[in-house]
Amino acid sequence: MKLNGAQIVIKQLEAHGINTVFGYPGGAVLTLYDELYKASDKIHHVLTAHEQGAAHAADGYARVSGKTGVCIATSGPGATNLVTGIANAYLDSVPLVAITGNVSVPLLGRDSFQEVNIIGITNSIVKHNFVVREVESLEETLREAFYIANSDRRGPVLVDIPKNVQSDMCEYIGKIPLPVKRPTCSFDPDEVAKIIARSERPYIYAGGGVIASGAQEKLLQLSEKIKAPVGFSLMGLGAMNCDHALNLGLKGMHGRYAANMAASECDLLLAVGTRFSDRATGDVSEYKKAKSIIHIDIDNAEISKNVPPFMEICGDITDVLSQLLPVLEDKRHDEWTQRVIELKNEQQKQEDGYSTEGEFTSKNIIETVCCYSDSDTVVATDVGQHQMWTAQYYKVNKPRRLLTSGGLGAMGFGLGAAIGGSFAKNKEKTVLITGDGSFGMNLIELATAVTNDIPVVVIILNNQTLGLPRQWQTMFYESRYAQSMVDRKTDFAALAQAFGANGHRVTRLEDLEAILKNLPKNAPTVIDCPIDCEEVVLPMIPPGGSIKDMVIGG
Amino acid sequence: MDERFTIELLVANKYGVLNRVTALYAKRGYNIDSLYVHATEDASVSRMIITSHGDEYIRTQMVRQISKLYDVKKVYMMSQVDI
Repeated sequence: MKLNGAQIVIKQLEAHGINTVFGYPGGAVLTLYDELYKASDKIHHVLTAHEQGAAHAADGYARVSGKTGVCIATSGPGATNLVTGIANAYLDSVPLVAITGNVSVPLLGRDSFQEVNIIGITNSIVKHNFVVREVESLEETLREAFYIANSDRRGPVLVDIPKNVQSDMCEYIGKIPLPVKRPTCSFDPDEVAKIIARSERPYIYAGGGVIASGAQEKLLQLSEKIKAPVGFSLMGLGAMNCDHALNLGLKGMHGRYAANMAASECDLLLAVGTRFSDRATGDVSEYKKAKSIIHIDIDNAEISKNVPPFMEICGDITDVLSQLLPVLEDKRHDEWTQRVIELKNEQQKQEDGYSTEGEFTSKNIIETVCCYSDSDTVVATDVGQHQMWTAQYYKVNKPRRLLTSGGLGAMGFGLGAAIGGSFAKNKEKTVLITGDGSFGMNLIELATAVTNDIPVVVIILNNQTLGLPRQWQTMFYESRYAQSMVDRKTDFAALAQAFGANGHRVTRLEDLEAILKNLPKNAPTVIDCPIDCEEVVLPMIPPGGSIKDMVIGG
Repeated sequence: MDERFTIELLVANKYGVLNRVTALYAKRGYNIDSLYVHATEDASVSRMIITSHGDEYIRTQMVRQISKLYDVKKVYMMSQVDI
């Protein structure tokens, strides 16, 4: 059957089970949009207000659904506006296929109107990218794009399709999608079991690889079988129920006291689906002292990159744990278990000091919001203090329910991601916890939420400052608040109303609860929550520091 | 120990592949001492021979990072004997 390039794109999206895409039209993708128009019964295109919002929405959609996120933009500025979103997906290993239009092939490389070399621009933030110069190679290229995005360690792929390739015709073969590839893992489970059996103080440091692999049940079995407490990287949160005795929560720079202390005191560290990012480790030389490290990850290049392990196992986490669990002996370490309980008690005392019950503080606001959501509710964050408080205090009890920009730390990620996350769950209620700084970056996507009747609940922890920079300036720059005090006069409640959303400003927990009890089912709600700019995220291990440098405060 | 090391690659014979490979060296700040690219008997495959220097950490990292590139088919670390 002869089809044009744009029709081939639609056929391939359908073949890969894609029924929702996010994007923004423009001159170089109008042929593709014409076919999307005709195929609107099969593929729902969500128009965002800015291409960055489309990329973040596709990312959020992918994280929640486990499917590939797809975003579409025109050439030039449309393509460059996707860049932050693509980088975000790259650093958090989210499967994303970004489709950009470009000027027609004869105009490529001539600095034509709205032409950029998006291949060159995105080279270092994609798993791979393609420019399709002949329509004959389009079908195969798209198959490869979905294959690469989902194989091994997942990530973004960009396909640049010049305008003439979208209208050129060729024979469409209609091949089925390529089967996804995972690395073959070969290791000796008995040898690992021996090392674990020798350990008296085992600790599991788990990351996003557990969630990507769907290995949360296996992780739980591992932890319970060898009685190892689990600390998580930001990307790993949600892989274990927060109320489980062995779950110590977030580890790292702003990790919880018990999670970091136990990591420093363990004699065996099992790193599962994680990459020893500097934010999760601090001073990596600490990791070489008196402990064995077994590093399990899907990406061979992550092993030994930041921390040299005693033993490395490259493989999909589900695969590896499926082989390991049957040969493990049940273990008890009463002293270690007791020590972990002590650490948790100590942590409770510290955290009680951070905030008084009933006060309108970040911790109490987040805990209130959490109370009015169920464990299946998607919660998104932006980047900054509110993100760390959410990671510490919001109980994310299920995988694929926390959407946060972990590796890139991109302010402005949250609203687009929350919208994408809602689409992945049939437009269910989604919570966005953000700050006044982050929200200011991409708040235009409120328009998208209004148009599409998305019941996203935006909680703005509004401290009139860029909280994390300010916190660092207090600690490391003798309180010289260079450009971190934004001092804006934005009325977020009125702004929300101007967009057609519901807007509120509350200063008491009771008022917040009253709104959370009566949320509209099909419209966004913005709740501006003014908090004190002196609130800081604690505990904190300063950048490059170790456990002995931990600031507890309170 | 800082040593010269040579990596031999079999890559897809397409434009832009050299760029992808050398960008990885640039990203980590490793200088390339010599670089040789040539066609092979198979028209779809080119061979690259890249000499650089670094310790074992750098050598292992480069091989692992380059192996992840989609256009790279095979990576060999050449020993001193091969050279």
